[in-house]
Amino acid sequence: MTATADLKEFIAAYLVEAEEHLAVANAQLLAVESAQRKGDTNPRAVRETFRSLHTIKGLSAMVGVEPVVAIAHRMETFLRDFDRSGAPLPLPAIDALLKGVRGIEQRVAALGRGDGAAMPSDELLAALDSLGFAAVSTAPPAAPLDLEPALLGKLAPFEIEQLIRGINAGKRALRAEFTPSPARAAEGMTINSVRERMAAVAEIVRVLPRAVPVSPGAPGGLCFVLLLLTSSTDQAIAEAVGIDVDTLHRLHREVEAPILAERGNVSPEMATSELEEDFSDAQSRRGVVRVEVSRLDEAMEGLSSLIVTRFRLARAVAALNKRGINTRELSEIMVDNARQLRDLRAAIVRVRMVPVGELLERVPLLVRGLRRATNRAVRLELEGGTAELDKSVSERLFPVIVHLVRNAVDHAIESPDERERRGKPEEGLLRITCGARSNTRLEITVTDDGRGIDRAAVARKAGRNTPNDNAGLLDLLCIPGLSTRDIVTTTSGRGMGMEIVKRTIVDELGGELEVSSELGKGTTFTLRVPLTISIVDAFSFECGEQRFVVPVAMVDEIIEVDSECLAQVPAQEDGGPTVDIISRRGVAVPMLQLAQIFRLAAAEKYGRKAIVVRRAGAPIAFAVDRMLGQQEVVIRPINDVLVRAPGISGATDLGDGRPTLVLDLVALSTSLNVRTGASRAQP
Amino acid sequence: MKLYVIFTLAGTEYALPVDAVLQMQSFTGATLVPGAPAYVAGIVTVRGLVVPVIDLRVRFGLPPAELTLDTRIIVTESEGRVVALRVDAAREVLKLDVDKHQPAPSVVSERASGFVHAVHALGTRLLLLMDLSKILGESSHDPARASLVDGTKARPQLPS
Amino acid sequence: MTDILVVDDSKVMRDMIIACLRAIPETSFVHASSGLEAIERLSLATFDMMVLDLNMPDIGGVEVLEFVRGQDTLRSLPVMIVTTRGDEQSRERVLQAGATSFLAKPFTPDAIIAEVRAILGGRAESVA
Repeated sequence: MTATADLKEFIAAYLVEAEEHLAVANAQLLAVESAQRKGDTNPRAVRETFRSLHTIKGLSAMVGVEPVVAIAHRMETFLRDFDRSGAPLPLPAIDALLKGVRGIEQRVAALGRGDGAAMPSDELLAALDSLGFAAVSTAPPAAPLDLEPALLGKLAPFEIEQLIRGINAGKRALRAEFTPSPARAAEGMTINSVRERMAAVAEIVRVLPRAVPVSPGAPGGLCFVLLLLTSSTDQAIAEAVGIDVDTLHRLHREVEAPILAERGNVSPEMATSELEEDFSDAQSRRGVVRVEVSRLDEAMEGLSSLIVTRFRLARAVAALNKRGINTRELSEIMVDNARQLRDLRAAIVRVRMVPVGELLERVPLLVRGLRRATNRAVRLELEGGTAELDKSVSERLFPVIVHLVRNAVDHAIESPDERERRGKPEEGLLRITCGARSNTRLEITVTDDGRGIDRAAVARKAGRNTPNDNAGLLDLLCIPGLSTRDIVTTTSGRGMGMEIVKRTIVDELGGELEVSSELGKGTTFTLRVPLTISIVDAFSFECGEQRFVVPVAMVDEIIEVDSECLAQVPAQEDGGPTVDIISRRGVAVPMLQLAQIFRLAAAEKYGRKAIVVRRAGAPIAFAVDRMLGQQEVVIRPINDVLVRAPGISGATDLGDGRPTLVLDLVALSTSLNVRTGASRAQP
Repeated sequence: MKLYVIFTLAGTEYALPVDAVLQMQSFTGATLVPGAPAYVAGIVTVRGLVVPVIDLRVRFGLPPAELTLDTRIIVTESEGRVVALRVDAAREVLKLDVDKHQPAPSVVSERASGFVHAVHALGTRLLLLMDLSKILGESSHDPARASLVDGTKARPQLPS
Repeated sequence: MTDILVVDDSKVMRDMIIACLRAIPETSFVHASSGLEAIERLSLATFDMMVLDLNMPDIGGVEVLEFVRGQDTLRSLPVMIVTTRGDEQSRERVLQAGATSFLAKPFTPDAIIAEVRAILGGRAESVA
């Protein structure tokens, strides 16, 4: 290993970021076009387009993708002038720019597939070159804004115009101030978070830094000025953002006549003639939506609550039935409802699935980079298959594959000379296969025909006995902190970070990891992972010497159990669990002892903490011994009927290799048939 | 001839066809599952799956045993279910002639509540052949029956 | 320990810069993804130098630089500008705005290491 970083290794990350910037450039160019067709301008979108292309150019230059640099450079140069002047882009130029973006997209996609990026055609370059410099600079409009000249001078003409237009449209233009401090930063109040929260209640036109005298209130000698347009009240903004209401000031006096810069260069008639074909063009870019995974998680959470509701409904129907009421029609509806919920769940799960090919499509590029860096001759064989797996699994799996591939090329496959001496083909073979092993699991193998792992040497380095089988070898390779350098130099180089591979595959994903290696012949790593996983943020706690977790989203509050605030409800004849009443901020909340419900050996009669959940809106508390912490956990389903029980929604691994039960306290309280609410008086 | 995993339980040797066995591993404890039948020692993670562990001693009505270094779980797969069996020890894999299986004498099958369907004499050793599907049974185990509220049944074993 | 603030709105670029500079022993890195965040971090903690991109949303590198040079406490902070605009005019402009040094993208790991070493070495001497 050399000390110098290899920037080629960033190519995968580059591809991801380039795609993001390309998406921005496309969207912003279309926004510019649609504004200009309406005789309007959108200088902000021009700026965003410019910035995206500028970033693409810089990144492409860093990783050495010259064809993209060639295209992006021309586009950037052209856009810079328009960004400075705020003048409208000529419509034919937008067309050429969109073609340029598409040219970059094609090259980025080719790189992702492992093909090279072709040099751009002369035709495309000529089209971009001929864009010329047609920008006419326009004077900024006179601004009736109540802003000191130092700040006003920093605003671009289009920003001033944006403020004026907003005012003319009946919005209020405001200036807000945020003063950062270590104390605020500790509470999560930073310019980034303030900006984010502000964006929810106002249109942010510009944020500027302003130096202020150092004071206890402004220890950094800095305050940020946010220029806003909004329809919200000062009070609402202050509350949403978490700043004092007196840091907000109006930017304008009363509005006289609307002030608008005249910039309609394109007549509507002219625009419509071109509109039709462009519409179909835009159409082809539709049909694919980028969605943040967190939004899908929200949908899934919503579905979970629907399922809980259904559970209650089913109970209610059963109760009616018991009373001799005919529930046939209701039951039929319930059957439909169950099927619909199942379908909906499957649909949401499907949205999260990505083809396994997507996981592998960046491997050729990685191998090519490594080949160049190491001077190894490597042939890559990929067998992708058509399986699909959950995005979150795919995201966790990718670094593991990168790791295994890098180790194989860097260390396992010998130099061409050495291979020749050993009577092997000069070109090493790296083979990756990917296939669904069942409906629920994916198997990936990474095989090389390199030097194999010398078990005795690894064992010596680890100070352990030589393992006599592959399982023992894997345990050795996965010893945390095993000096990577020693392993790298004395053996085939496996071992570097293998404990991270194991943690990801086995502990995080609940999969399996196997190795088989023959000295002198090569090594195969086999990974088996579930196609889907479900991850939630959860509290872990202890009760009756057993650990449990409960999803944070289900918890209303965690309270101290103070025996002063407890009242015991007389024991009942129905065999139900003991119910106490605990006073929470003056409201009586029924409380159950989790240890008693689960028949665990409780340390004390009353748990010291109680987890409050809401069932149909009413709080119910479960006393537990102590809270342990909060973390993201991967939930594994509990499938076998022997161990399926109400209130238990799955199991997880908190890192000790043992399953920990994931509780659904809402379902548990429902199954116990305990009445919730502040009063247990009369049904 | 067919391969069998041989395991011991309270001094008796049992045989289980190898094709029903996924793997064997040492046993260091399972996570208790409230509400599960008493013979379920809890759950363990095997190859990323959450798997119930049946304590065969409890299932067979034998006195429970302490954990020892020999204690094993045999992970079985049948009819799509993966279930682990906790046994006193499991060390051998033997080839047995299927034709030499004899029907279990009634006294044996009664004592073992039908879990043993045949016996196999191998020299001086007597191996009991298990009916895995009977042991797993309960394919329609109703969680509501193992009620959490009714304390008379379905109480998981507490660690000793 | 040398603390370096790395400011770039591109995560890949930040990661690349840090990957290169890791070769310098005893350094630790803090990221900022915008000019505003950079100014905020500078006002709340002390750094030994800043590596600054020019092209960023809200306020660009030159504006960050102008602000930093206007602050008494930050006037002497070494700032290295990293930019795709490698022409002489841009170089002139950022040096005039107060940059300590100027590095054009694309750069090699060795180039950025040498540049940072030169800045930090100079600082060490001036302190001694």
